[in-house]
Amino acid sequence: MKHYSEDDLTLYYYGEARGRAEVERHLQVCAACASLHREIAGTLAMIAAPEVPERGDQYGLEVWQRIRHELPEQEAPWWIALVRYDRLAFAAAAALLVMAAFVAGRLWPQPRQASAPVATETGTDAAFSSDMRRILLTSVADHLDQSERVLTDIMNAPDRGDISTEQKWADDLVDASRIYRQDAVEAGEQSVAAVLDDLERSLLEIVHSPSKVSAADLEQIRRRIDAAALLFKVRVMSDELRKREDASGAPLPRPSTRKTS
Amino acid sequence: MDATEAAAVLARARQGDSEAFRALVERHSRSVFRLAFRMTGNEQDAEDVVQESFLRAFRQLGRFESRANFGTWLYRIVANCSVDLMRSKQARHDQVRGESLDEAIELPAADVPGPERMAQSAEIQRRVQVALEGLSPLERAAFTLRHYEGRSIDEISSALGLGTSAAKHSVFRAVKKLRVALAPLRSQES
Repeated sequence: MKHYSEDDLTLYYYGEARGRAEVERHLQVCAACASLHREIAGTLAMIAAPEVPERGDQYGLEVWQRIRHELPEQEAPWWIALVRYDRLAFAAAAALLVMAAFVAGRLWPQPRQASAPVATETGTDAAFSSDMRRILLTSVADHLDQSERVLTDIMNAPDRGDISTEQKWADDLVDASRIYRQDAVEAGEQSVAAVLDDLERSLLEIVHSPSKVSAADLEQIRRRIDAAALLFKVRVMSDELRKREDASGAPLPRPSTRKTS
Repeated sequence: MDATEAAAVLARARQGDSEAFRALVERHSRSVFRLAFRMTGNEQDAEDVVQESFLRAFRQLGRFESRANFGTWLYRIVANCSVDLMRSKQARHDQVRGESLDEAIELPAADVPGPERMAQSAEIQRRVQVALEGLSPLERAAFTLRHYEGRSIDEISSALGLGTSAAKHSVFRAVKKLRVALAPLRSQES
């Protein structure tokens, strides 16, 4: 009678053995193999999957905050090597074409009527873009004011106490902060985005601290807010945005679609 | 995020758009942590693996083929980062680890806890943990993928960049070592 090895029976346990039905029949008639199989199965059954510590909804954002300043250079795709040889020649040819198009455009006779509608359309786009920017800046200024109040509360909270109210408030502001930061990046408002980014990190830290915060934990949060000069930046940025809002005309009504608190 | 949107985000990330990569990090972090924790058995190590895996993924995004599944590709990176971390830990603590394994295998009869204590699953888990720490990084990775993650030998071989036979034998060696290390528990049970 052919017996099965430990390796065969391990594969059988995991459902990867060839001729599974044959192994099954054999185990019914062979006491030695059945005993070995019971031993393997018994050992492996003891090894339960470890309980994985829970990670919250904001975990992805926390990971991002940890790695964002360390992102390395991306390696070029494999096919880049094939075109790299001709890259300089390609760039030179492209520059030549642009130059030729420019010269041709200057020398070629222009049809005169076509320019008016284009100018109107561009003007409309510009006005629309300007309004969108004003709405964004107004919303961000409001958001910064609310965030400033949370940060001020944290800076002035008693050294050992319950900060659950501030945490709830900060939790509401985190999502809004993130959306505004993305909008600011898209609008080319880099300095606004940078302040919102710092703010988001501090808000997250507040949200993830224990509600009954110890004096040491609270001190650590405050030190980080101080180190980033966050309250100062938030105030200055809010003032600056208000000034820009005033300079661009009458203040816009507060947008109702944004979550700001 | 639907499939079209996911593909667009991935395409932007491959062009070096860090905001798009951020969306990928946010989407996959929890599953990456789960695998890393199972592979390393340690929360702090798992966090290190999560971080290193995403940095490695960002660096190598150019090599990623867009028709492949990003999750599967990332899974491989996490598995390999875990093996690398376990290897470097092993190099640092080889002596200590060796002693732990010896202790688990050659536990004197007098030290074997009584049936009451053995009934406690915490004790069993502790012994299992010690036994798992006695495996080589590759054995542990292959065993984790097979036993906890339910991956087939072919999938393990692809994830760890091994031949099918090497992947299979890593699992076999792990099971053999675990049987020996956990034998005292089995004899108490029977």
